[in-house]
Amino acid sequence: MVTDSVLIVDDEPIVRESIRDWLKDAGYQVTTAESGEEALRMIETQDFGVMVVDIRLPGKTGIEVLREVKAQRPQTKSIIITAYPSVDTTVEAMRLGAIDYLIKPIAPDDLERLIRETIDSVRRKSMVTTEVEILPKPPVVEVVEVKKAFVITKESLKSMIESLSREIEVVGVKSRHGKYVYDKITNFEELCLDYDITVTPPTKYLLPAKETLLKFKLGDKTKVEPVTDATPRAIIGLHPYDIKAIELLDEAFITTNPDPNYIARRRNTIIIGGDSLNPSLKSFTPSMGTHLTETGFDLMLTDIGFDYMVTVGSEKGAELLAKYAEVREPTGDEIAKQKAVRDEAQTKYKTLLDIPKERLPKLLEENYDNPYWESRSKTCLSCGSCVMVCPTCFCFDIQDEVSLNLKDGERFRQWDGCMLVDFAKVATGENFRHDKASRFRHRMFRKGKYIVEKYGRVGCVGCGRCATACLADIASPLEAFNAIAESSRIKEAAIRIIRETRPETELYVPRLAELVTVRELTTREKVFEFGLRDGKPLGHRPGQFVEVSIMGIGEAPISISSSPSRDGTFQLAVRNVGNVTNALHKLQKRTLVGVRGPFGNGFPLETLEGRDLLLIAGGIGLFPLRSLIQYALDHRSSFDRVILLFGARSPTERLFLDELALWSESPEIEFHETVDRGDENWKGNVGVITTLIPKLEIDPKKTMAVVVGPPIMYRFVIGQLKKKDLTDENIVMSLERRMKCGVGKCGHCQINGVYVCQEGPVFTLAQLRNLRESVQ
Amino acid sequence: MKPKVAFFDFTSCEGCQLDALNLEAEELIDLLNTVGIVNFREVMTEREDNYDIAFIEGSISRESEIPRLQKIRSQAKIVVALGACACIGGVNCLKNHLSMEEALEIVYGNDAKYYDTIPARPINAVVTTDYYVRGCPPTTTELLGVIKALLLGKKPDIPNYPVCVECKMADNVCVFERGMTCLGPVIRAGCNAICINNGRHCWGCRGLVDDPNVDSEKDILQKYGLTVAQVVEKFKIYNTYAEVAK
Repeated sequence: MVTDSVLIVDDEPIVRESIRDWLKDAGYQVTTAESGEEALRMIETQDFGVMVVDIRLPGKTGIEVLREVKAQRPQTKSIIITAYPSVDTTVEAMRLGAIDYLIKPIAPDDLERLIRETIDSVRRKSMVTTEVEILPKPPVVEVVEVKKAFVITKESLKSMIESLSREIEVVGVKSRHGKYVYDKITNFEELCLDYDITVTPPTKYLLPAKETLLKFKLGDKTKVEPVTDATPRAIIGLHPYDIKAIELLDEAFITTNPDPNYIARRRNTIIIGGDSLNPSLKSFTPSMGTHLTETGFDLMLTDIGFDYMVTVGSEKGAELLAKYAEVREPTGDEIAKQKAVRDEAQTKYKTLLDIPKERLPKLLEENYDNPYWESRSKTCLSCGSCVMVCPTCFCFDIQDEVSLNLKDGERFRQWDGCMLVDFAKVATGENFRHDKASRFRHRMFRKGKYIVEKYGRVGCVGCGRCATACLADIASPLEAFNAIAESSRIKEAAIRIIRETRPETELYVPRLAELVTVRELTTREKVFEFGLRDGKPLGHRPGQFVEVSIMGIGEAPISISSSPSRDGTFQLAVRNVGNVTNALHKLQKRTLVGVRGPFGNGFPLETLEGRDLLLIAGGIGLFPLRSLIQYALDHRSSFDRVILLFGARSPTERLFLDELALWSESPEIEFHETVDRGDENWKGNVGVITTLIPKLEIDPKKTMAVVVGPPIMYRFVIGQLKKKDLTDENIVMSLERRMKCGVGKCGHCQINGVYVCQEGPVFTLAQLRNLRESVQ
Repeated sequence: MKPKVAFFDFTSCEGCQLDALNLEAEELIDLLNTVGIVNFREVMTEREDNYDIAFIEGSISRESEIPRLQKIRSQAKIVVALGACACIGGVNCLKNHLSMEEALEIVYGNDAKYYDTIPARPINAVVTTDYYVRGCPPTTTELLGVIKALLLGKKPDIPNYPVCVECKMADNVCVFERGMTCLGPVIRAGCNAICINNGRHCWGCRGLVDDPNVDSEKDILQKYGLTVAQVVEKFKIYNTYAEVAK
């Protein structure tokens, strides 16, 4: 691959050509394409090191281009450029492999540096991957108190287990169909101690698939008696992760509401563990801290070659050794060998959690609405295999069974699981977790958050059984946790990239803008046209605002009244109400003022596009809305209907008279106007703006309403829009607050936890419903 | 007054009835103490048209069977489908892939003109069916479970989860891991995974669960090496009717 080759995809000739010229000067091979389709045709036959692609393109969008490039040429690195940064598109772009995001206007130095770094990193990476094998993360060395350990020969172990099996039931791991299962052991030879993993966990001996809880007699005198089973049993060869799982079950079944059936079994169970030296491919126990254990067993065996090390974990374990086995003190070499085999086992794990397990609860908490749950669970069969083979799943169903004489019966419990369709269904038919996504999410939350918070222990021991059992290949919590961590990381990076585009040192330093023209709108309002003195466009999107400053007087937030699609200048329409606006109103042409910004989110163009727009402006609400009106008219084909309602208090307070006249004539916009109170010359509608709404024919599914006006107006307009069946998601409003710093710090504009200057000023009604202070 | 139970057969091998009361003597006595059996062609010659619970075996595959079934429905308080043919159409529906003329021709050759046939269907395609005792054949335990539940006045507890659940409870190594393929992930449990316990795979005789992810199951069957045609064949055996109705 020619790594120095760059493909530029942008529909604006000036951007395309200027980038091409800069990069050619810097020594790159540059190719350009003016549409996504053209770029894809080129990519079919040529390999590029870096693609610089605009998000907004006619035809195929930048995101679609990225998706295809990722599929066809995964090695091509992409850089996104856009005039309209949003976290959503950035996240999407980075998911599709974009490595960075530049916001227009672009500085040649930034772009060149980015391309240089990208190309260098590709080179470095290809060198690393060809020469060095990437090893798993080094094991965390645990300093633990050394328990009393001995050496036991295989012969002695055999005789211990066989003696034991003459007295109590002994279960252990046996081979079946090339896999391993726990079953009764009658002779030592059928016992496997070097297995990788069993199909189902040994927890079935503490919580059997089906277990009688009560026996009862029906009839005149109903009699109920509890049933417990306390068959003495030894389980041989449990791996540490299964022992950790049993410790969780102890927590759930012994600590609160002690469960007599569980306790009876647990008391009568001897646990002889075995170190897991041959982990299954899908296991990730080191990430969950369950690959070794110092607790939870009576005896623990480690295969150190010819003999076993046996660690004593309890009084019961010590008694067993004393009664049935011959052991001796280990030599220094044998102790070293035990450590060596355990360390070696740790290098065999293929997959690891990308974040510390301690961060899981918070990570999940923040990702309850992550689209991953929905998308990944589509292929879920709801077969329950994942929960049936899980050592930390302990949910059950309770049913009655009556014998044929209809007199005797029993109440039993049987394994059940939250991944099964009817698990949360009640008698009236409602199912509280009726869809695959919510069940899938619930299981992962149980493993990574709920259990951790309730019992203080990991809810997933990392055995990987579910991942093996899942035919759809979606069950591994490791995969889910890593995917969520990755998407969280991408989102954080995207937010950082967008925020970092303006260097911090200039945070409070205004850029200089020159007053180009002034026009009087009414006696109180003027519109000012400014041009940045460095000649660059402001780089705003409709609905954003700037902080205008006049040194010595102060700064004020002013919404931008013009669309970025018009000229290189920008317009601010201003009512003379305060110190700064008063000073502005006195300014002469060619005076310089300070400007910081643009700030705020602006109108959600991505959501608005392709829809019917219902734009509603009350009074000077037309100032910010005008930027969107102009934008919609300049990109007319991107929208379906464009309806504009404007209301002024009186005919003399109407604004932008020339534009009002143009809009009322234009076939491209459906314009309706009213005034609260008419006068002798006024021939149009009279009445508040809400009176215009009932007459409209709109399609509530297609229409997005954008409302800007004085606070009093919102409540009434919303009432009317709701009558037209618009949902809260389809009503967008721009709020006015005291935006002092513009950069989410000073706190004046905060509504509950939200900084209006950053996350607003534009919100959907649905968002505002969660902000109780917004009082709309 | 003991509730009266009747058994009827339609298009079927009558294996379900034959197997239904294959009980230990003691159990049979217990059963006969609780219900009165008034109609059961496989085991008795007496007949009575007065019954509370009708167990229907077989699918409906001839015009003349429709009024007969409707009459039973109007006389019984509770109608229970017994076995795969009655519950889901079963193997009889395999002929639905042919035209009825072809089917008659293949079976009866020159005598085809003496017979009539319609596409086979489960009984709930003809009459309201209250409960289902599934399987080919159903287990006696399940049949008795339904009878006991009805006598106690509760809804029988028939699982709505797939065979995988019971298969895992039985500690089986997954059929797919043994190099075969299986319909277990979308087929209703209740059989305790009897086929898999005995070294085979699930054929689907108990029908699909209520909300099966058939698309995903088909993808998995293909991932494990079946062709599209083989996947279709696999579903056809017992589940033609449900698959065609989709």
